[in-house]
This record gives sequence, C-alpha cells and structure tokens, in this order.
Amino acid sequence: MALGKNIRDFVHGIAYSHYERELRKQANELNDLFLLLCYMEVVGLPNPATLYMLDIYPYLLEQFHLWHRRMGMDRSPLGNLPCC
Amino acid sequence: MSDAARLLDKKVLFFGGKGGVGKTTSAAATALQASRSGKRVLLVSTDPAHNTSDILGRPIGPEIVEVLPNLHALEVDATQESARYVEEVKVRIKALFGHAILKEANRQIDLAASMPAAEEVALFDRIGSLIRGEDDRFDLLVFDTAPTGHTLRLIRMPELMEAWIRALSRSRRAMLGVDQDDKNDPIMMSLGDRLERLREFRARLISPRVTSFVLVLNAERLPIEETARALEQLDEAGVRVGALIVNRVLPPTSIDPFLVARQAQERVYLDEIDTRFAHLPRLRVPQLPRDVHGLETLQTIAAALYQA
Repeated sequence: MALGKNIRDFVHGIAYSHYERELRKQANELNDLFLLLCYMEVVGLPNPATLYMLDIYPYLLEQFHLWHRRMGMDRSPLGNLPCC
Repeated sequence: MSDAARLLDKKVLFFGGKGGVGKTTSAAATALQASRSGKRVLLVSTDPAHNTSDILGRPIGPEIVEVLPNLHALEVDATQESARYVEEVKVRIKALFGHAILKEANRQIDLAASMPAAEEVALFDRIGSLIRGEDDRFDLLVFDTAPTGHTLRLIRMPELMEAWIRALSRSRRAMLGVDQDDKNDPIMMSLGDRLERLREFRARLISPRVTSFVLVLNAERLPIEETARALEQLDEAGVRVGALIVNRVLPPTSIDPFLVARQAQERVYLDEIDTRFAHLPRLRVPQLPRDVHGLETLQTIAAALYQA
C-alpha cells in the first residue's frame, strides 16, 4: 500500500518537475513585469500614474524584497528605492 | 434658445485658448452671468499663473471662497493638491499596515510624490473629482484653463490613465494566475476603484449634455491657427466645442487713420474666422475702452456675450 503510493509519487515527480520549474519561472517573470510597471520612475522611465500607485506601494514591499533576493542581491540594488 | 444661452445649460464649461486672448475674462463673465440667472456656480482656475483674483478684484486661493451669494471661486494649486493627496494616502494606509512596512512605504510615497509628474496628476485628480460632482453645492463648474497645449494634455489624461491602469490590472491578473482570487486582492481592488473613477470622469467629459469647451481667440493670425489645431485635437478626444468667443473686436467708430487701418486688417481675420469656423457658434466681444477689472466691467462683458 505505502510502497504503491511512494512509487506513484515518484513517477508523478519525474513527470511534473520539469513543468513545475518552467511554470515557476513564468510566474516570476509575470511578477517582475508587474513590479517594473509599478516602479518605472525608479528606473528612469516616465510613469503617467505614479501618484495613483501610492496606495499599492505598501503591498509591493514584500514582492520587491523577494525580487532582489531572487536576483541574487542581498540588498536593494536601487539607492532611491530602499529595502533592506 | 440662443447659442450662448445653450452654453449656460451645461454642467461643466472649459475655457481654453492661446495665452492672453481673454480666457479668464470670458470664463469669469460667464460664471457671473450664470450665477445672476440663479445657478450655483464654481469658477475654477487651473492655470498655474492664476489671474482670477486680479479680475474679480479680490483674493481667491486654493480653497473655495464665496464671491457672491451664487458664485464661488477657486484657484487650484498643484503643489498643494499633491501634498494633500499624499497625506490622504498616508492616513488611508495607516490603519492597514504594521509599523515596519509603514516606515518603508512612507519613504517610497514621499519619493514618488517628488517626481515631476506627480503635481500634474494631482491637479488632474482634483479636476476629476470636481467634475464627478464631489461638491454638490454647485450646478455649473466653469474652468478657466492654462493656455491650449497644457489643457489639451489634461483633457487627454483620463484616456491615457485609463489605458495605463487597465494594462496594470491585466498584468496583475496574469500574475495572480487562476488559483488566486483577484476579487479580494487589495491591489486589484485599488486599481479597480481607480478605473471606475476615471471612467466616470471621462464619461462626463465627453458627454455633450454635461460638458462643453469654449475656445477664446482674437482676430489675429496666431490665435486663429491655434484655434484650428485645438479644434482638431478636441475632436479627436471626443470633447464637444460649444462656441468660439472672438474677444476684443474693435468698435467701428474711429476716424483715426491708424485705427482705421487696424480695423481693415481685423475685418480680414474676422471674415476668415467666419468661413473657417462656420460650423460653430461665434460670439463677439468688443474691445472696451478700459481694462477689465472687477465685477462691474465683467458685467459689461457678460452682457455683450449673453444678451446680444
């Protein structure tokens, strides 16, 4: 019984791990795109709606932190956008 | 109903045109006329170089003040609107987040508010909430705007913003994917609210029942050309032009050869205005012997415009 489940999980893992990595990568890219759209001014691109972004900045702090860690940077790479 | 009277029937009037042609005078005279006919009127100057105080002969500031029982006035100050907007956001998020996040968020907010576009958007936002009817004390809003280029940008802004916020929402929805609920995502909700308000603003702006644009010009070469360009762009933006005001037309009384020559030239331009803009109502205002200053002279202009 237990062995049967283990074997099933093992096969499932082999079959899906490849897709999962790909899906995670895509999800991260979508995350980054959204982040870029919100922080365009910080990287020097004019954003017509900067003032309208103010409400959502607090929600983005965590996401910004995850982004710079994922990019392999311990601290925020943008001097004008402090993080940790 | 005359063309001029039809203008006073709207809820929102914009006065635009080249610098110095008499936008402030026309807007103030119109506001005065409407208030005398029993409407509750708010005259709003959005030109960073405000003249409303000068023409009404009394101080007007960034807060709404009463000029006459039915006439209020306001000179919108973009810097102050931006500061006010930022304060409101800070108060709003205070209840939602912990201390550590607030500290960082407030830093980001101050940074964003110092960006060059912020003041323009704050000004736009204030105009938007006035047009959406945030202040129900008024039946008619009369906007005395900055010279043409600046104002046309402002008129196109709801469209631009809407497209922008929609793109952001799309990106956010794609990011949330199928398994996360985008109805309860605070960012989606914030963007959704914003979009709703922008749509309402734009709907009122392009509704011919609600909004009319009045272009002011003089019988001279440059104002005529600028008017033609503004008409094209307003048409593209979907905003209806209610009338042209041809300001400072010389009265035909002089025998002075200099003035006779000026008048002959003006005649050519007046004819050109009549042929090129034949599809629009054209209201003429004569040049007065003295400067327009104070309610009394404004009344003279109002009479020339609306009681002809």
